Amino acid sequence: MAAGATIGRRGRRPAAERPAASAPPRPFVQRVLGEHPTALLFIAPAVIVIVGLSVVPIFWTIILSFKSSDLITPARWIGTANYKALQHDPAFGEAIKHTLIYTAIFVPVSTALGLLLAMALNRQIRFIGIYRTALLAPFIVAITAQGVLFSYIFDERFGVANAMLDKLGLPTQGFLGDPSQAIYVIALIGIWGGVGFPLVVYLAALQDVPGELIDAASVDGARRWAILRHVILPQLWPVTIFLLVWQFLQALQLFELIYATTRGGPIESTVTIVYYIFHEAFQVFHAGYAAAVAVIVGVFLVLLAAVQFGFNAFRRRAAA
Amino acid sequence: MAALAAAVAALVLSACGGSSSSSGGGGSSSSGGGGGESENTVEIEFWHGQNERIAQVLDEMIEEFEESHPHVVVSKDAGGVSSDRMRQKVTAGLQADDVPDIAYIFGSDLASFAQTEKLANLSEAVENGEIDWNNFVPVAQEAATVDGEPRAFPSLVDNLAVVYNKKIFKEEGVAFPPNEMSWEEFLKIAEEVNNPSKGIAGWAWPGTGDEDTTWRIWPLVWQKGGEVLNEDGNGVGFEGEPGEAALEVVQKGTEAGTIYIDGTAGSERMQQLFNSEKLAMNITGPWALVEYLEAGVEYGVTLLPSFTDEHTTISGPDTWAIFDNGEEREHAAIEFLDWFSEPDQQLKWLEVSGSLPLTKDIGKAPGYAKFQNSIPGLKAFIDNTANAKTRPTVTSYPEISTAMGKAIGEVLYKKSDAQQAVESAVSEANKELELGG
Repeated sequence: MAAGATIGRRGRRPAAERPAASAPPRPFVQRVLGEHPTALLFIAPAVIVIVGLSVVPIFWTIILSFKSSDLITPARWIGTANYKALQHDPAFGEAIKHTLIYTAIFVPVSTALGLLLAMALNRQIRFIGIYRTALLAPFIVAITAQGVLFSYIFDERFGVANAMLDKLGLPTQGFLGDPSQAIYVIALIGIWGGVGFPLVVYLAALQDVPGELIDAASVDGARRWAILRHVILPQLWPVTIFLLVWQFLQALQLFELIYATTRGGPIESTVTIVYYIFHEAFQVFHAGYAAAVAVIVGVFLVLLAAVQFGFNAFRRRAAA
Repeated sequence: MAALAAAVAALVLSACGGSSSSSGGGGSSSSGGGGGESENTVEIEFWHGQNERIAQVLDEMIEEFEESHPHVVVSKDAGGVSSDRMRQKVTAGLQADDVPDIAYIFGSDLASFAQTEKLANLSEAVENGEIDWNNFVPVAQEAATVDGEPRAFPSLVDNLAVVYNKKIFKEEGVAFPPNEMSWEEFLKIAEEVNNPSKGIAGWAWPGTGDEDTTWRIWPLVWQKGGEVLNEDGNGVGFEGEPGEAALEVVQKGTEAGTIYIDGTAGSERMQQLFNSEKLAMNITGPWALVEYLEAGVEYGVTLLPSFTDEHTTISGPDTWAIFDNGEEREHAAIEFLDWFSEPDQQLKWLEVSGSLPLTKDIGKAPGYAKFQNSIPGLKAFIDNTANAKTRPTVTSYPEISTAMGKAIGEVLYKKSDAQQAVESAVSEANKELELGG
């Protein structure tokens, strides 16, 4: 039980504080499996599930990306041919383009809108609960349901959106039926459904901004804008970085909405990267090729997450 | 472990796609040699993938079969997935070396499964008379044949015809379309009945660019003497005139503004518009009739229009695939499906599945005459079966479909004309075929 005494601050046990040489050498089992071998037994079920359902498939996908496979017939090892073919695949380039357009709209707009709405809702007014619930509701609606709903609203011929434009005397639009508009309409739907998350996070963060800071600033003569600019926003910065990265990850993985509305059409104008993976794997059955795309996207997402980690680490060090 | 990894891999791939959760796990039942108590009893697994309503009828039929064939026991678990996910489930099963004896496989997927040794080859059983192959209607035979060899039992056939909304025609003061019309006439009628001010469209075409968009174009190509794939199988067979003439029909529809482009997934909107008296004519299959009937729409059915006298149409058939789990089980599976193909059983199956008749001797079943007239217009589809062809059962079809789907989309959305669109589809598809899929 010598260890118990040495568990230091924050639960860490620096090497220097380890039991002195006077302690008896530990038995072999403990040296190999750690101090409490039975602990491994306890975590084994979770480890097996995580390894089986996350780690193994990841490696499997990586291996698959070096093969030519339709998932039915025996796969052929083709080395990096899938990756080489990807470089000259215009459809993949288009998919990246559509994904980037969506991301470029969805990420900043949904985050900024989330902040605005959160500030509007962060006050004591009558029926605030109703407003908050109403604005959060889209976030809870299943994406597939959103897709079906909006495909009705934005129907070119019979939709509510065009009926309203017509009433207002404005020219009607193709919306989801126009190859040059569809991806923007998708982004709009995405924002409608995706603003709820930043809203909730910002609302929580706003309530964490210490009241004393705001009081102190106003005593010093700061007006509302200055308080927002110099007190509140800096406090929200870490949350904002988190949200940007998070929304970015969401945007890059856009699939369900496309599947539920346009299936990549009209004329492949809304094929995103993940939809392209689906198409290649399960519609034309180039599973190896699809796996290669998945690996590339995966690497990119990991890098993105690393940015967030790096930022947090940097902040922690700066704060210390 | 390898089996687990494979199943997991199949799962993760669908997870990568982000589609709704895969259901790969679904209860692996009593397979693998647990052959029952009596020595002679053979147990077979039957993954029919049908919904509860149909499954109930199938279960009753299985019980009937087991009574008259006491040595065979047929499972009643449906396979744990619906038929549209059966390909994935059976694929995972193949990796794990645990496949059912019978599975509901889409006609378009049969060619891929035929690449594996596990899919039974029924040639011998057909030759020695165990299967009465010639009793199946030609289009059903075609659908279950890969490289000239019978590889499955047909499970469903349908075809496309024109269903028109009588009320709209009456209101617009246009005569009902004749049973046999040319595409020229069809387009003219569409123009006459089209009425944008009332929100009424003449006809419709799915615009997503997937197989739903593509398969409807093939009858037009066939009517003009074209093919999906050329004879040697190394290139497409729709270049030039056949492809262009087919796409020109679509082009004329968009130019005249008579065509409603259904951009929604699954082209459900077309059916809804028809139900709500906003679509005058719909090119659709017999499955839609039940829906129209329930919605109380007064409709008529005519043959698919043609460029010639022959009103060639397309059938999108499905199959009962038999997998090789040893000779004994294979024979039991054949025995069951053979019994299933007898007139009485077939009639029950047609009534619940919505399939058109698969067998020539169906007329022997008492009640078949009544069935033909059970739904108005059904008879027209049944008679149409003789005109139906199927898409080729080849593994490269999805690539051809993708290229053609894009071409149709470009014409529908006026991004290119028929000639250009066909040219680029031909070169794109041929490039994919060269790569060898």
